[in-house]
Parts: sequence; C-alpha cells; structure tokens
Amino acid sequence: MAKRSMFGDRRGTLAAAVTALLLLVGGALVVKVLAAPGAPPQPDTSQAQPTALPPAPGPGPAAGGSSKADPTSAGPTSARPTGSTPKGTSPAARANDFGPLLGPSDPVALRIPSIGVDTKGLVSLRLDRTGKLQAPTDFDRAGWYVGGPTPGEFGPAIIGAHVDSKAGPAVFFELGSLEKGAKVMVARKDGSTATFMVDRVARYSKADFPTRTVYGDTGGRAELRLITCGGAFDRATGHYVDNIVAFAHLVG
Amino acid sequence: MRTTSKIAAVALGTTTLMPFLGAGIAQAADGSTMATLRPVALNGVQASGTAMVTVTGNRIDVTMAASGLLPDNPHAAHIHFAAAARHECPTASDDKSGDGTLNTTEGGPAYGDIVVSLTKTGDTSPKSGLAVDRFDTAPGGKIQYERGSINVSSDVAQAIVDGKSVVVVHGVDHNNDGKYDGNTKSDLDPSLPTEATDPAICGVLAAAPAGGMDTGAGGTSTTNNEGMLALGGGLLLAAAGTGVFTARKARNRA
Repeated sequence: MAKRSMFGDRRGTLAAAVTALLLLVGGALVVKVLAAPGAPPQPDTSQAQPTALPPAPGPGPAAGGSSKADPTSAGPTSARPTGSTPKGTSPAARANDFGPLLGPSDPVALRIPSIGVDTKGLVSLRLDRTGKLQAPTDFDRAGWYVGGPTPGEFGPAIIGAHVDSKAGPAVFFELGSLEKGAKVMVARKDGSTATFMVDRVARYSKADFPTRTVYGDTGGRAELRLITCGGAFDRATGHYVDNIVAFAHLVG
Repeated sequence: MRTTSKIAAVALGTTTLMPFLGAGIAQAADGSTMATLRPVALNGVQASGTAMVTVTGNRIDVTMAASGLLPDNPHAAHIHFAAAARHECPTASDDKSGDGTLNTTEGGPAYGDIVVSLTKTGDTSPKSGLAVDRFDTAPGGKIQYERGSINVSSDVAQAIVDGKSVVVVHGVDHNNDGKYDGNTKSDLDPSLPTEATDPAICGVLAAAPAGGMDTGAGGTSTTNNEGMLALGGGLLLAAAGTGVFTARKARNRA
C-alpha cells in the first residue's frame, strides 16, 4: 500500500516518467549549448584595412558586408597614380616590385600557427555550373581552387574551408580571429613552402560579394586568399550569410 | 535646317541608346576570365605570369603581368583562339618537326590563331601580331601590362567567356645569349629569328569564380544555439509542470 501511495495510480507513474525524461533531455540540451565552443569569431573592423603601405590595395571595402558592389578601385592596379588613364603604357618604373614568386606546385598542407590551423591533404575545389566556387565536401579538409594559380605563383591562390559542420567547429573556425601580419605557411608538392603574410581580414555579405577584389588580378604579386563563412546563420537556406576573407601576399 | 536638326537629334538619341542596346544584346558574352601563364613545354623559359580579361559585350579589358622573360627585348603577346583548336597550351607532342622546341605554328593545334594582339598602342587586330615595336620589351624580364576597351568580334568575346581562348607571350632566348638570334628563321616572319616568335609562356583564360563560398553548416552558430537553448529550457519548464502534477497525485494518494 505504501508503495502504491508513492506514485498513486498509473497516471502518476506516467507523469513521473515523463518528468524524468523531460529533465534529462532538457538538461542535456542546455548543458550541450553551454558547453559548446560558442559562435565562430568575426574579424574586427580594424583588420579590414591593410597597414603596410607597399601592398596597399587602395581603399578596401568596409567590413560587415557594407561594401559597394565590386570596386575595381580596390584593386592594386587602379591604385596607381596613372590609374585614370586606361592606356596600355605599362610603366617600367612599376615593373620591379612584384615581390617573390615561386613556380607552379600544388599545395599539400596549410599551417597558420597564430590561430592553431594545421591541416594536411588539401582537396581540389572547382566551380559549379553557376560559376561559384564549391566548398570542400569534407568538413575536416581545406581545399584549393585548382583553376587558379598554385600558392606562390603569380595571382590570387584561393584556399577555402568550412567554419563549422552541423556538429561543431571545422578547419577555419578561427579564421575570423586572424590578424594582420600573421604568417600563413603552405607546404607544396615540390617540397617547398610558400610563406605568406596577412594584409587584412574582412567580412563580406555573400549577396554583395566583391568578386573582383577577392578573385581578380593582383597587379603582379603572388597572393593568397583564405575564405570561410561568417555572420549570421540563415536556417532557411542552411547557409551563413557572409564570407570571411583573409588577404595575404607571398613573403618567401 | 529643321531636317538636319531632327536628324541630329535622332543621331544623338541613337548614340545615347547605343551603349544600352549593346549591353542588352551582348549580355550573354559578359564575364571575367583569368589565366595563369606557365612555361611552354620544351622551350625551357623559367618565366610565369597572370592575365585577366574582362569581357563586356564586344569590349575586352586586359591586365597582364609576367616575370622571368628575356629582358629588354620585345615580347609579342596575343590572345589565341580557333574553333577547331584544342583550347589549351601546347605539349611536347606538338613538336611536329621533332627539333626539340615548339614554334608558334606547332602550337596552333593547341591554341589556334591570333585573335587579339596585346600591343601597347595602336591596332590590336591579328594584323599587329608581329608589330615588334609596339609590344612590351620586359625591362628586367618583367611585364606589367594594362589595356582597356579593345574591340573584338562576338565570336571571340564568346570564346573568351567560354574558356576557349589562350594567352601566349612569345620570345624565347634558346641559346641564352641575351638576344633573339640564331639561324632558324621565324615560321611567322622570315625576317625574324624563330627565338623572337617562339611561345614562351601560355595560359588558358578560364572563368574566374563568381560570388562567395558556402563554407559552414551552422553547428556553432548563435542562432542554432539559441534554438537549442530555447528547446532545452522549454523541456525543463514542462518537466516542472509534470513534476508538480506527479507530486500532487502522490500527495492525494497518501
């Protein structure tokens, strides 16, 4: 009788069981969220502008996706004093500041000590039918755009990786906290290592992405772009609304 | 008098509209392309470069940079295309003469004919393909080239956008004596040595990526966490409710 009175009838037993289940699941969810690593870091606006003068790519677009369309003026080419004349007079005086260059060789590993990135086995990235650069299918791998230059060659080499998977942080989770002046090392198939220095880190709205600034001509330098996602996550589309892009140039 | 002014007005109206009409018709051929210029097979030039061609209707804007070329000598540079070509850079198997080097003609099956001459000034048609006095002379072995508003045919514009055109920079100092010389005459112009016209670096103009990348599944996003937190909280609240119910039941029975 005493046993029965503890939980009353079957309804009481059921209610007790439901209570226990709710406590367990609800508590687990709260604990999981509180124990989660938190949202990925976003680049500070102070990182969006280059500090060094020589590689200055002109007035870079502001962070936070407020960039206007596709400012060609942000490219180094038109930042020249002669930028107003679109004539083909290649100024000989400018022809000596390309900086270091390496021959073509595929990247095999990427290391960014300042944000704890150390990843091997880069995958090949290609464009989809709409011309968009496809992300790696593997959340634990970085990928490089095989249609562009290899890191160390002339032009903008592109390496992209996920910020997170559905379960948690991915390769470029910390990219938003990368700072100007940081070193990025790309190991290449020929055994050499291309070392880049970060010029700036900016966040752009995908809806208003500065395609030319990111993928366009570098005015004759070996450069690197590191790309991941940023901003808010749109649950309707299943994608983040912004991209975080780090711009770097080859130093050796 | 009035007729003339009317005609003038019409003409003016047409010219004002022209750019818009042109843009509308040529929409299909718009696009940005880039080429990574690498050494042509067999010719042994340790040079590299990059080219970017933006197509807007029948107009193209070109920037090009290269390094490691024979310094202070003219380097003819072109955009090549032919419908029947392979739309790629030549390989060692294109050496039909078997002399161990590739001349411009031998590269033809790979990249096609000259369709644009990347001269610094004046004409840019195939006719200027060997206008050696108007090409960049690569001081220090380097070229930094920029030329806008080059007019091309619709076919050429389309070929460039479709990734079927090839940028080739010519001029190879095979015997490393600092100048274009040697007994072999150019297959293009017998008054020039073949060194002056042999292809040095080459790259296919391919569509540059457009737009951003989708590089996240949201597992760590705040919105996702907020949702989970709300759900977890809701469940705990419900647990409180059923707990009270259970307690009351137990008390009633006691």
